[in-house]
Amino acid sequence: MSKLLNVNVGSVNLKSPIILASGTCNFGRELAEYYDLSILGGISSKGLTIKPRNGNPGVRVAECASGMLNSVGLQNPGVHYFIENDLDFMKESGAAVIVNVAGHSFEDYIDMVTTLDPHKDKIDALEINLSCPNVKAGCMTIGSDPEAIKAITSKLRRLTDLPLWIKLTPNVTDIKATALAAQAGGADAVVLINTLMGMRIDIRTRRPVLTNNTGGYSGPAVKPVAIRMVAECAQVLDIPIVGCGGIADYKDVIEFMIAGASAVEIGTACLVHPALPVDITADLEKYCEDNGIELKDLTGTLQRW
Amino acid sequence: MATRKEYRIKLISKELLNADTCYLGFDCPEIASSCIPGQFVNISAGTMFLKRPFGIASVDREKGTFNIGVKVVGKGTEQIKDFEVGTEVDCLGPLGNGFDFEGCDNVILTGGGTGVFPINFAYETLTVIGKNVTVCEGFRDARQVILNKDGYILTTDAGDMGIKGTVIAGLDTLTIEDPAKTLVCCVGPIPMMKAVSAWAEEKGMKCLVSMEQRMACGAGICLCCTVKVKDDGPDGYKNVRCCKEGPVFDSREVAWS
Repeated sequence: MSKLLNVNVGSVNLKSPIILASGTCNFGRELAEYYDLSILGGISSKGLTIKPRNGNPGVRVAECASGMLNSVGLQNPGVHYFIENDLDFMKESGAAVIVNVAGHSFEDYIDMVTTLDPHKDKIDALEINLSCPNVKAGCMTIGSDPEAIKAITSKLRRLTDLPLWIKLTPNVTDIKATALAAQAGGADAVVLINTLMGMRIDIRTRRPVLTNNTGGYSGPAVKPVAIRMVAECAQVLDIPIVGCGGIADYKDVIEFMIAGASAVEIGTACLVHPALPVDITADLEKYCEDNGIELKDLTGTLQRW
Repeated sequence: MATRKEYRIKLISKELLNADTCYLGFDCPEIASSCIPGQFVNISAGTMFLKRPFGIASVDREKGTFNIGVKVVGKGTEQIKDFEVGTEVDCLGPLGNGFDFEGCDNVILTGGGTGVFPINFAYETLTVIGKNVTVCEGFRDARQVILNKDGYILTTDAGDMGIKGTVIAGLDTLTIEDPAKTLVCCVGPIPMMKAVSAWAEEKGMKCLVSMEQRMACGAGICLCCTVKVKDDGPDGYKNVRCCKEGPVFDSREVAWS
């Protein structure tokens, strides 16, 4: 694979900026049926909790203009099952292993990091999910409050040397404040953005389409919001940004990088075209060759008016 | 060996079966050569973001073509129904596990509504491999009846065609001689599958049901289309993926609600 796609997210070197976004690739196993995962920069695991979770009941997906709402609710097999059954698979895939860590309280996150830290030889970074909108406690509740973000990040910082990437929610007034809080707590990077909270209603029954009532909006429709947030944070942060939200082709990747992202996560578009990262990778290589550049040189090159 | 499993396929035939249901034929040798009854394809729906899942209704392996049935239920299916012959669309497939007919001599296929489409593919396959097949199909009324063939047991809720009542009224006309060697397969609305499962289990027959849930990816990666199956854990059930572990489940595993 071309070295032109090499990027760094802090101390983490990735052979490509393409990371599969948490919650849209499970642990990679299913997608290995579709393409060779070693082309990827990384895989971010399904959001994990200490105990297994069945997730939310009923209808979990609703289509929207250029995207979808989901309310899966962190269904996952639990971190212990993951370590025994999926971590080795991820490590052997050849992509960097990003483990997405979720919880309902500070204690949950501490438990999770303590449980994962002994397996650090198989993990490249922990993505701390302070942004899932589909659970009643934790995640977005913590991730909406800069003080709580700083407090939890600094607690986790003391527990591990693994890179800590804090995945933030766009459902806040000032994304710079939450990103700066993560940085102040000792984060190695921030991941921007998780889904936007939304609702759809069945006009016949007057009930929300999703049984959870609300869900997280993702897909190409949210890309401008994510780009804006990456660009805003790039102006104030010293730590790297992983961009995420609505990427569907190589030009979207470049747009995120110009805005300030060092790497990107692709998710919802892969639900429609599972092998999309193969095309995006090839297109990015061609773009770099045609323009005589290394992709990482694009990061933060935005020329504002 | 990894394969993209996504193809650009051409619509080669289109037939209107009733006011809101059509039968579409697509050219795709890759899917036609490898699919089994009970599997489905995910087809792009015009301007809609997500693909839509459809059980495979028929296959011509020599010509490399397959059919699906589409009932209009929303914006996506409306656009698919309006596709003109010659239209090319993105299609992912074949997906899901499909029916396992191993170990039985007799198969009772039961379908309702759009469930008759995958039942049709099962019927075609089973007659070729030489199993004894009985088909029982149920519809709301005569106007809804589609893909009905000679020899099928037909029921309508309204009673304006075939036996009056649900498919159970049709199934009750059967004499089951060897329940241990008889498999029941059912595709239809949940209440129907639940009733047929109870009917089969009471008579000592294994029953396979094809579950349906709002689906996003079809590839097992988003966990949106989950189905409850029985489990010994604290919740008493476990959510599994309709698109990956299913859509076909042993009725005894399903935690019916």
